[in-house]
Amino acid sequence: MKLTTNEATLLSAVTTPNSEAARIARGLDMFVVAILFFAIIAAFHIHIMLTVGDWDFWVDWKDRMYWVTATPMLLIFIPAALSYPFMMRFGLPIAGTLCAFCLVLGEWISRIVGFHLWTYFPYSMIWPAIVLPGLMLMDLVLLLSRNLFITSIFGGSAVAFAFAPANWPILAPYHEPVVHMGQLVNVADMIGYSFTRTATPEYLRFIERGTLRTFGGESTLISTGFSGFVCMILFFVWWKIGEWLTNLGTIPNVMKKHVGLGDDDDEK
Amino acid sequence: MAVTHDEVGQAKAIAPFKFNLKPMIMGMIVLAIIFGGARWYQQWAAWDYGLDATDPMFDKYWMTFFWAEIVIEISLFFTFVGYMWLTRDKHLNNVKPREELRRLMLWVSMLVVYAFAFYFAGSFYAEQDATWHQTVVRDTSFTPSHIMLFYMSMPVFIIIGFTLFFYAITRLPFFARKISIALVLVVCGPFMLLPTVGYNEWGHAFWLMEEYFTVPLHWGFVFFGWTIIALSGVLIQVMKYMVELLPKVLNEKGELTS
Repeated sequence: MKLTTNEATLLSAVTTPNSEAARIARGLDMFVVAILFFAIIAAFHIHIMLTVGDWDFWVDWKDRMYWVTATPMLLIFIPAALSYPFMMRFGLPIAGTLCAFCLVLGEWISRIVGFHLWTYFPYSMIWPAIVLPGLMLMDLVLLLSRNLFITSIFGGSAVAFAFAPANWPILAPYHEPVVHMGQLVNVADMIGYSFTRTATPEYLRFIERGTLRTFGGESTLISTGFSGFVCMILFFVWWKIGEWLTNLGTIPNVMKKHVGLGDDDDEK
Repeated sequence: MAVTHDEVGQAKAIAPFKFNLKPMIMGMIVLAIIFGGARWYQQWAAWDYGLDATDPMFDKYWMTFFWAEIVIEISLFFTFVGYMWLTRDKHLNNVKPREELRRLMLWVSMLVVYAFAFYFAGSFYAEQDATWHQTVVRDTSFTPSHIMLFYMSMPVFIIIGFTLFFYAITRLPFFARKISIALVLVVCGPFMLLPTVGYNEWGHAFWLMEEYFTVPLHWGFVFFGWTIIALSGVLIQVMKYMVELLPKVLNEKGELTS
């Protein structure tokens, strides 16, 4: 790729050690990192809390049906959209990992300060799902393949395929059976019964329906497979949305005459 | 090589570039105090005075807080945005590259403050609202959680966003020549969260819905939250422009030339 005169000058300037140019470029980098850090926490967290929501908030909602199916699908939106500018403009296949880190950080701050210290729910009930492995795998596929289609198929599906296994070690103890007032429930259910949530729907209606269990008892696997398939499509779609949002152009400024600019200043 | 007296004098005149970090640091400290103080106030007053909207104590400790927020925020919005417009640079066609670089860096540093404010609205206070709803049944649109989320955190980042937008179109030639659609989305998208609050409260009041957070009534917040992705577009526009701007003030050895 041939550099323009400006690009060549700038490249030479910023790569000169201890130069003013290097210092200015480094300063700009630091601002960009800080902006992205806070903005990604906010954008990804508000997206997840209002789409995955209670399935992520409460341990007794972490079921084999909706949680395993919906979470990876909704998890891939923002990382896929940000993969475009990160990879194509900065050469950094880190959007998934960065998003996962920011999300988990935002969630834990909220769970500690809001859920635990303000309304006294125990940590065992409110831990957020582990999302880092799948999104790291997505980045890895992008790093190795540098190809949108391959990353959609293998990276997108990896987000779903890694989700249940990544969470199983922490979730398994909560699925131990318990008999409570003559009913067979699990430990997560018991925690849910003990800490009443005044405005949720009653437990069984929304958490798990029985039909999926008729598929040979492999609810998690079926949910994961379907989720993985949808994730492949969603990665592609959201990459394109990220591309569109990154490359938005400009519109005429009808007020520019108030700041001393005329029509002939457009091309400057 | 001989150095003439004039060249030495000229070299001395070019001061090193200084990042003006004071507004950013001050902004973040002020926001941390506001949001931290608000969280402390919740801990102190929510359980004792915030459970029942018909209680006179609710009026005293929460609705007074609410009305104070509204008055202060509307005043600050018009003060900041009005200041930006009234003190605009009316000769942007004559701005020197070095001055433009200084302004652009200041503006980018203030985007950090905008993102910091958006964090409190989009993450910290937003998810906290879920836990309050699951603990205390909503009785009006005004709860100890909503008063900090919808009527404080969101207006704060809206005020900062619009102030930065007006700074950009009145002081930065790059953004004044043509309006960046990405910048409009970054400012106006999150602003649309506020009208969505109206729809949200209307829906909850009308349908007396259960409070699980994924209800379709809440998806408006998600949709407008997505517009913050356009921030990457703004940053890339800035960086592309830097490729044009920096060579005007630097030589290939990385030294300042103006």
